[in-house]
Parts: sequence; C-alpha cells; structure tokens
Amino acid sequence: MGRTLQFEIFRYNPMDPNSKPRMQTYYLEEKENMTLFLALNEIRETLDPSLQFDFVCRAAVCGSCAMVINGRPGLACKTKTKDLPDKITLHPLPVFKLIGDLSVDTGIWFRGVAKKIEAWVHTNKTFDPNALEERMDNELANQIFELDRCIECGCCIAACGTARMREDFLGAATINRIARFYIDPRDERSDQEYYEVIGTDEGVFGCMGLLGCEDVCPRNIPLLDQIGIIRRKMAIASTGGKVGRLFSVFAKKKK
Amino acid sequence: MSVDATVETYKGHRLAGWLDWLQMLTGLTLAVFIFAHMLFVGTVIFGANAFNWIASFFEKTYLAQIGGPILFFIFLLHGTLGARKMPFRTKEQKLIVRHAKMMHHRDTWFWVGQAVTGSILLVIAAIHMWTVLSDLPITAAKGAQEVQNTLWALFYVLLILCAGFHACIGLYRIGVKWGFITRATRAKALKCIYILMGIYAGGELILLLRFLSLKV
Repeated sequence: MGRTLQFEIFRYNPMDPNSKPRMQTYYLEEKENMTLFLALNEIRETLDPSLQFDFVCRAAVCGSCAMVINGRPGLACKTKTKDLPDKITLHPLPVFKLIGDLSVDTGIWFRGVAKKIEAWVHTNKTFDPNALEERMDNELANQIFELDRCIECGCCIAACGTARMREDFLGAATINRIARFYIDPRDERSDQEYYEVIGTDEGVFGCMGLLGCEDVCPRNIPLLDQIGIIRRKMAIASTGGKVGRLFSVFAKKKK
Repeated sequence: MSVDATVETYKGHRLAGWLDWLQMLTGLTLAVFIFAHMLFVGTVIFGANAFNWIASFFEKTYLAQIGGPILFFIFLLHGTLGARKMPFRTKEQKLIVRHAKMMHHRDTWFWVGQAVTGSILLVIAAIHMWTVLSDLPITAAKGAQEVQNTLWALFYVLLILCAGFHACIGLYRIGVKWGFITRATRAKALKCIYILMGIYAGGELILLLRFLSLKV
C-alpha cells in the first residue's frame, strides 16, 4: 500500500459552451481494498466537486459506473486499484451519448435497440390475473436466467469494433437479449419472425467476431458463444428450413 | 447512435443470411485451396520433373483451365462479400485503428490485420493468378525464372505472408463467429491456428527457396 495513484480523467461538459474536451490529472493516496468507485468518490469529495460520473449499487449489479479504464471498458465498482498500474486513465464509454465527464446515457441507446428487437414476450394468450403462474422446467429457467444476468452496462457495445464503425449495429447485449426470448417458451415468435428482427447485417450477421464484447463483459457472460448459436439458427432460418431439413435427415440416419 | 426508428423488416427477405453463408463458404474454399496449392507446388521439393508432371496433369484434365477461372471468380466474390464489412471511409478507418489501440486487444488487431491483408490480397493474388493462368503450361522452369527476379521474389514473400495470415485467422474467425470455437476451446483453437500459420508460411517459404535454387 501507500502508492500515490495518478488519475488522468477525461473532462468535458457538453452543456457548457465554454467547456472543451481535455484530460485532467488528479493524485490520490491508494487505500486498502480501494475500488475505482471509491477513488472517484474521494476525488469528488476532496479534490474536485465538479467531476461527473455515475454509480448506484457499487456492487456490479446496476451497470451505471461503466467507463473506459486504461483502454478497456469495465465497471468502476468492480475494478480494484491494486490490479491497475500507478497511472490510471479514465474515459467515458464511446458510442453512447455523453452527459458529462465520465457519465454517459446508456438508457436511450438500450431503449432504442429493445424496441427494434421487440424485447418483450410475444403471446396471443390473454392474461388471467387469477390463474396460477405457468410452471417452467427448472433447467430452462436457469438457462433464461443465465442470459438475463446482463445488466446492460454497455461495456460490450463500447468494446465492439463493429458497433463503433456502424452506428446501427445492434451489438452483443441486444443479441444476447433476443436469445433470452428465443428460448423462452412463452414467446410465440417463430424462427422466421426472429429472422425478420435480427437476421440482418445490422443484427447477428453484422458481428465480425472481434471478441471485444466477450473479453470485457463484467458479468462474464459468454456473449460470442450466444451470438454463435443465434447466427447458426438465423443462417438456417435464412434457407427457409432447407438446411435444417438436411441436418434432420443426417440426424435420422445416425440413429 | 440508435434511436427510435421504424423497424426495418422485409417479409421473406433472406438475403443477409445467404450472403453470410456465401462469405463463410467462399472463404473456407479458398483457405482449403491454398493449403492444397502448397501441397501441389510442394512437389518441386522432389525436383522439376515431379512438379512438371503434376502441373501437366492439371492441364491435361483441364482442371487448371476450368478450375482456375472458377477459383478466380470465388476469390473475387469473397473479396466483394468481405468488403461489405470493411472500413472504407476515412472516418471508419481512423475509428477502428483508434479503437484497436485503445483496447490493447489481440482479436481486434487480428481483424484489422485481416482487413489489411484482404485488401492487399485482392490485388496481388489477382496478379499471381493472372500471370500463371494466362501463360500456360505451368512449368518449374518458368516458376524458377520468375522468382529469381528479386522483385518477384519479394512479391511472393508478401503474397505468402498475407495469404497465410488471412486464411488462418479467417478459419479462426469462422469458428468464433459461428460458435464452433467457444470460450472453453478458444485458447486451444488459437494454438492450432498459430501452428497452421507456421506450417503454411514456413512451408511456402521453403518452396520459394527451392525455386530460387532451381537451375533454369
């Protein structure tokens, strides 16, 4: 312990016409078990009350404190300073709308893509508030929960070369989200209907497999494994079931 | 940034999926081809006669005359399909390089490498195919005469390095994109890819040296 940490922090307030984007340096004594979230709060309390950054839960559940830490998107609350060098450079996440300094609005972006993929259960059943909830197989519930672990922090989008080059690319979190509805039996959409939503170059076929998403995900979700499954499903759907039938012929022969 | 917009859907529009299949299948074909190509050219290790024998076999069976142009077409098709994903505008090029630098991320750099080698290959592999196929029959003597010119030798070194990198990383990327290489198998797969790249580049460079030492 006892290191003096040098923070290089991006400063810019788009609401202030006199503000120009710049890097500002702060020095802070490192403390035991210090996270970036604690360090940023100490900077704001003791050095610069004007520094803007977001946090809510400080436990990697809310996804608010995502930022670019020494070049890699990550959560400030989950990053310990002892794992970082003496010099720590912080930038706001790219792609998203900048609110100021390290604070970005991921909400507008995620709402936009959720509407595009229609991220809700599509069903024709009328809801009966008095009926017992339908039962679900435990294993399936766990699979859905595994995909629902995403906190929409935006790290995977900021780490994606495609998302940065192509503004309309849906990104890993969104494809992961559609996978969640795909395996949910309550969603009655067919493969063809999913294809219409995500079987495009802005959707799953736009992914170039750069693996940035998977390598930075603070929740450790195997994002590219999920994208791979969806890509195969959608590629098979694009043939109008021809390839699917071919596979089923092979499967029958094997038996 | 993505904001509220009408969802772009086409009923029964399946083009994106077909193009993705094509990009993968043409790439796979070309990758398999360059390894097969290395084996055929590899006969030169046993001398000019062995090489000439296999070359004349391909010409007598019209594999070179018919297969060559077909391969050229697959190559151009793959280039065109790949180009859909490439950064052409200066803004995009600057962004992807800045992004790769920011991330210090191997797989992002690999993709930048693929975009660069792909662009180079589109020109130099086309030249190679044209010079060989427009001047049949293929003989060891012609090959040797060509590479004994320093500029051509350098041309072939560049071609070998670009083709080896682009094809091997391409195979890796097909695996990643289509979910055949998963988180669990990625490290192992990458090791295999490095070995494959070594075999290709090493093998082809040895062949180049063999051609250089061939008496014309």
